[in-house]
Amino acid sequence: MTTVSETAVRTTPVTGAASEAVLAVRDLRIRDEVNDRMIVRGVSFELTPGKVVGIVGESGSGKTLTCRAALGILPAHFAVSGGSIEITGRDIAALTPAQWVGLRGGTVSAVFQDPASYLNPSIRVGAQIAEVILVKLGLGRRAARHRALELLAAVHLRQPALVYDQYPFELSGGMLQRVLIAAAIAADPKVLIADEATTALDVTVQAEILDLLADLRERTGLALVVVSHDLAVVAQLCDEVLVMHAGEVVEHGPTARVLYEPRHDYTRLLIAGHEEYGLERFLDSPEVDGVR
Amino acid sequence: MLRLRSARVAVGILVLIALLAALGSVLAPQDPLAGGADTLAGVSGRHWLGTDYLGRDVFSRLLAGSRVSVLGSVEVALIALVLGTIPGVLSVYLSRVFEWLTLRLADTLVALPFLIFAVSVTALLGNGITQAMFTVGVLVSPLFYRVARAATLPVARSQYVEAAMISGASTGWIVRRHVWAKVLPPVAVALAHTIGVGFIVVSSLTFLGIGVQPPAPTWGGLLASDLGYLDFQPYAPIAPVLLIVATVWGCNLLADAIRDVSGQEGRALLNSGRARANRVLAEGEGR
Repeated sequence: MTTVSETAVRTTPVTGAASEAVLAVRDLRIRDEVNDRMIVRGVSFELTPGKVVGIVGESGSGKTLTCRAALGILPAHFAVSGGSIEITGRDIAALTPAQWVGLRGGTVSAVFQDPASYLNPSIRVGAQIAEVILVKLGLGRRAARHRALELLAAVHLRQPALVYDQYPFELSGGMLQRVLIAAAIAADPKVLIADEATTALDVTVQAEILDLLADLRERTGLALVVVSHDLAVVAQLCDEVLVMHAGEVVEHGPTARVLYEPRHDYTRLLIAGHEEYGLERFLDSPEVDGVR
Repeated sequence: MLRLRSARVAVGILVLIALLAALGSVLAPQDPLAGGADTLAGVSGRHWLGTDYLGRDVFSRLLAGSRVSVLGSVEVALIALVLGTIPGVLSVYLSRVFEWLTLRLADTLVALPFLIFAVSVTALLGNGITQAMFTVGVLVSPLFYRVARAATLPVARSQYVEAAMISGASTGWIVRRHVWAKVLPPVAVALAHTIGVGFIVVSSLTFLGIGVQPPAPTWGGLLASDLGYLDFQPYAPIAPVLLIVATVWGCNLLADAIRDVSGQEGRALLNSGRARANRVLAEGEGR
């Protein structure tokens, strides 16, 4: 997308620190304790700064639970029953709630589908971003406002000063997702998890958000976990892809390899399905840029 | 909120009653305790509302008696507010053990009848309005507990709170920033209602002669002695009754106004509070 110049986001070389994993998931298993079922059965991947890992699969395949486990916000009755997750070298199993508070926002952060419900409807969006900065970075009110405005500009919102004073209902879905990304990167996290972050948006806005994420990754060395059921999203952004089906990783490898030489039947099915429906969507719908 | 006419009327009534409570004994034209030869006199320039069976000026006694009612009902409301709201919000955030214990405790308290319990506590701790109203405050606190908890639950599970958690918000921050704004309106409604209920309870207790020793004037006490002399002054109970009714009506009007202003959510939450207030009213009438 556009230029990098005015932004406040710190720049670190992408290639330099590629050795240390910022997020390492090893043989993660998640169990539904009520129904006594394994929901996620052995997911492993490593994320180094500036790297992008994609997780694809149909709904219910355990993508979101994997992400939630990495954020320490598994829903009630779900528990990690095996394997480990390490964030910047620390095993999260031993973390206290207070340590989680320190880790979230500052080291790992996330954006989700349906941006409208992830903002408090009765607080102006700028204040919601400034609050993160105020608490996590310990800046003063004025400095926090200044930095929030810079972040709004960094996520390519055209009139940061105007948007700052608007309520969530006054913004479009694409703008809200940008605001959420701004809030998510406000405290300079090392890992950003984007769970279906572009699913609720129409195709053109989706492309813009993906560009924005790629841009952030290049400028700041942010490592990304991109979760999607849409192969196109993954193809565009990711270095490495995990294909999940029914809680298991059926295929794992570099994006190009997985997409062009799929080894597993389920991956072939996904690719075939995508080509078929992707084509149909563009042929049938009169408004090409319409809502999906 | 004051754009609503009902809110203006309510605030007007309550400010007037509050002034009576603060200045009543100063404003009273005559000594509310001094009797005279002129017993059971009718309305006159000297005695605006007549005199009672000992020749005491009824108007002065009403003014002087307002403080007991106001202090008592405010005491009930504040005690219930503190004991109910704080655990109500915490029950969502603290351990499951705490949640279970407070829920069961609230259920237990709801099962106890106010007046009877208050009377027995005064028998135990001494005959004082403060003790009695403290007890009532404790017994009303489940209303605040439930209202605060019900308002907290959906916010605590909302996605914007989850988003705040992910950006590293502590529980304290979430409660201050997101939960409090949702808890406040229904709690304010419950508070106004509870003050109204408090007036009825104070009046009922003093009517029964509990909490305040006889020569001291109270609204309920006035009503009780008036009822003994209906043959001579059939109109006498009207003044204290009107005062009690107007005050309670003012509180309910205020509660309704707050509810209307705070929108639909408060409305649903309050229905439980309403039912309870009505039960108290019925209980008061029953005796």
